[in-house]
Amino acid sequence: MEAIKKFQVSTEELSEKEKLVLEKLVHACELIAPLYGKQKNSKFEGANFYPSDVKKEEIEEAAKKNPLLLHPYTFVEKDRRGRLIAVPFCVKFKKELGEIARTLEEAARISEDRNFSQYLREMARTLLRNDYAQNEILWITRGHFKFSFIIGPVERYLDKLFFKKCAYQAWVGIVDEKRTEEAERFKKIILASRRKILPDTTKIELPKLRLEINKTVCFAGQKADFMTIGTNLPNDVALMEKNGSKLSIFSSSLTYNFKERDYPIFRSVFNKKLQTYFSEGELQLALLRTVLLHEISHSLIRYRDAEQRLKELFPIFDELLAYLLGIKCCGLLILKDALKQKELEAIISVFLLLNFQYWLDTKTDSVRMQYAIGGAICQNFFSREGGLKERNNVCFPDFTKLFISIDHLSHIIEHYLGSASYEEAQKIIEEYGSFEIFEKCASGLKTLPKSKG
Amino acid sequence: MERKKYYLTKEGLEKVKNELEELNRQKIALLDGSGPDSFRFGEIEAEFITFQEDLGNLKKRIAELEDVLENYEPIKAPLKKEQDSVHLGAEVTVEMDGTVEEFKIVGTIESDPANQKISDQSPIGRALLGKKVGNEVKVTTPMVNHGCRILKIKYGSN
Repeated sequence: MEAIKKFQVSTEELSEKEKLVLEKLVHACELIAPLYGKQKNSKFEGANFYPSDVKKEEIEEAAKKNPLLLHPYTFVEKDRRGRLIAVPFCVKFKKELGEIARTLEEAARISEDRNFSQYLREMARTLLRNDYAQNEILWITRGHFKFSFIIGPVERYLDKLFFKKCAYQAWVGIVDEKRTEEAERFKKIILASRRKILPDTTKIELPKLRLEINKTVCFAGQKADFMTIGTNLPNDVALMEKNGSKLSIFSSSLTYNFKERDYPIFRSVFNKKLQTYFSEGELQLALLRTVLLHEISHSLIRYRDAEQRLKELFPIFDELLAYLLGIKCCGLLILKDALKQKELEAIISVFLLLNFQYWLDTKTDSVRMQYAIGGAICQNFFSREGGLKERNNVCFPDFTKLFISIDHLSHIIEHYLGSASYEEAQKIIEEYGSFEIFEKCASGLKTLPKSKG
Repeated sequence: MERKKYYLTKEGLEKVKNELEELNRQKIALLDGSGPDSFRFGEIEAEFITFQEDLGNLKKRIAELEDVLENYEPIKAPLKKEQDSVHLGAEVTVEMDGTVEEFKIVGTIESDPANQKISDQSPIGRALLGKKVGNEVKVTTPMVNHGCRILKIKYGSN
């Protein structure tokens, strides 16, 4: 299985040399896609990172003696005597990574931007060592280039067994200066309205949050599989604390997702009155803002010990809270007239339809399962609090009640990330994580495109 | 019909004047032969349409700014005895949702929440006008309700 997605993007603004650099970077994306294919296996929670016939407890036990087994950049395999061993990605894929590094080197030679060439060369070097975290630091701290580009193992969603192993991905895009500037303004307003977090929990605050919107040319690996709209790196809290973070919005993917998935879902699950209330343009802008709010919120609050406590359940709560806090921030924006009520209602609608999308995706693939469970928690919670009603197979949101429910739920989820135990987290998932809630409004969804990409 | 009044600080007035000057310069440049050839030959082409759109947008914004300059009222600090309450131009420090925030109350033209300039017509602006230090203020909209307490009111040079 190869995960690659190319978007039609105008390259008029690029010089001939830059076009050649772009070709090389797209080629590097093509080369990394098969490595993701070798990591992915939807039949097993641990994908292909761990032997499928070994129990979770056995791996945990073995990792006490050999911590490399749970290292983010190793495969766990059995040796001849059946013992579990850790095989670094760079050993397993030595030949393939060598070719990718050479491609990056070629791109570096063509590029006339010396800093970008240096960035590509360093990235090529990290690919050949088991030192990919360096790759993320480079991405965050290096200057602002014409191209947005990262390649390597980054996200951990494929590993549903431990949420430790990173999956290969790459993207290349052309930075959209004008839209980046607009997004910067929105970010500034949000950061000016940041709120106090739960006391008595171990959280971090960021030194710096950088942002860019790019006209995405190509996605590979995990990015193509997820058809991500936004991302905020690094994932490692310690790295984030030290280096700050960088948020990227993929505008081509945003347009694609909106046209092919989100807008059809909106027209299918919501009542007719709501469908005429928002224009397509209002909803697409709301999608951009929802993603921005979500990714910015990721930077505002991170709990240092949450990953250790909640283990593989961590991303369910982490992603959900980022959505809830983002929307909650909008309350202050409304009071300051930085956002209109209708715009907030559009953001809430987009959030609800994204939950449907994540659930829908689980029907063909489990890659977004953590998001879908978070979405189910929301939808069930909102339904019980009266913010979301269902009649004749369509949803009737009450935005005022929903906004109050979002506030309530954000406090609850913050508690889970801040101090709850693994068992407590399991309990709330059991209580609120049922997908049945989606089925009620799903009759029209059967005609929608099946999957992403 | 009464004409709309625009309230501007000294700084805001300067900004409007500068923007108008710049836009007029751009308009002259556009009309001064730098437009596409098709404009002169009357051919409808993409370039010509873009040119017309640019010109239309410029003219619209220029008209808006001219209207502001014809109908503005400068924001002045209130009399000393009235400076214990919030008026246009006040720099207000409030405690809100456990966080201390500072902003300046300005007219809608100057509203810039990213830089702590809040319009007097915004929900929070409307709720704060006329209130004094120590007052608990309720800010309500159909969807959002918030309480805040005024910690400090200051008037600088407007």
